[in-house]
Amino acid sequence: MRNGIHIGKQVDTLAIAASGDDIRRATEWLTTTLRQRDVPDPQVERLELALHEVLANVLAHGGSAACAEPIRIRIEVRGNATTGEARIKVSDAGIPFDPTGAPEHTPAKTLAEAKPGGLGLPLIRHCSDWMRYRREGRRNHFMFGARWPKL
Amino acid sequence: MSISHTDVGDLRKIVILGRLDVSGTGSVANELEKLAAGPTKGVVVDLSSLKFLASLGIRALIKSAQVVEDRGGRMVLFVGTNAQVVMSLEATGIDELIPMFKNNAEAERAAVA
Repeated sequence: MRNGIHIGKQVDTLAIAASGDDIRRATEWLTTTLRQRDVPDPQVERLELALHEVLANVLAHGGSAACAEPIRIRIEVRGNATTGEARIKVSDAGIPFDPTGAPEHTPAKTLAEAKPGGLGLPLIRHCSDWMRYRREGRRNHFMFGARWPKL
Repeated sequence: MSISHTDVGDLRKIVILGRLDVSGTGSVANELEKLAAGPTKGVVVDLSSLKFLASLGIRALIKSAQVVEDRGGRMVLFVGTNAQVVMSLEATGIDELIPMFKNNAEAERAAVA
């Protein structure tokens, strides 16, 4: 109890390798876990896409160190009488990278000008209500989440 | 993942099913680009039953749309009521570059206009 309001918290964890098949396994695990925790579908869909893009970035840009050690994922779902929140933490041993400090994506004005890459971070930003990053030891710790009102 | 197509007159309709994610995009991206390079003027890519659209999938759509534009055609997207696909397209601003339709008949008309 905090200030007379019950704070519930449920935690799940998963470790995966940096591979396409394991990224799919992780997103499917996230979706199943969040639905079991009664997270509303729109938030589940947003967080599934955000997690996919975070892991795809690790796979593409994390370097050999990211592939040598497991990527750890932690889901925490918490809430009180009026608000729910899902917090996702991704920890990897790849090259240091702070997504919260990366420059904003500038959309192309025409199809001919469009560059096919660089769309992962805009998706992560769009799909998250908040993001945090810290480097601790040899690992990146990236956290993001979504909130929703309870009816 | 699966990708299939039908040609009717000046229109090629490409249907993609499954998940356009890290695992699934590689298997259809080359085929999509080849189909986009085909002889028809207009191309409709049907994403209405796609389960997941990640940045790699959007990259494949951009490259294919550029292939169509380079040969003087037009590629549009049919999304139906697929809210998750719409979210991915709007979040990246790609719906401003590749026209997106909820109605199939409107998509087909726009592709050959």
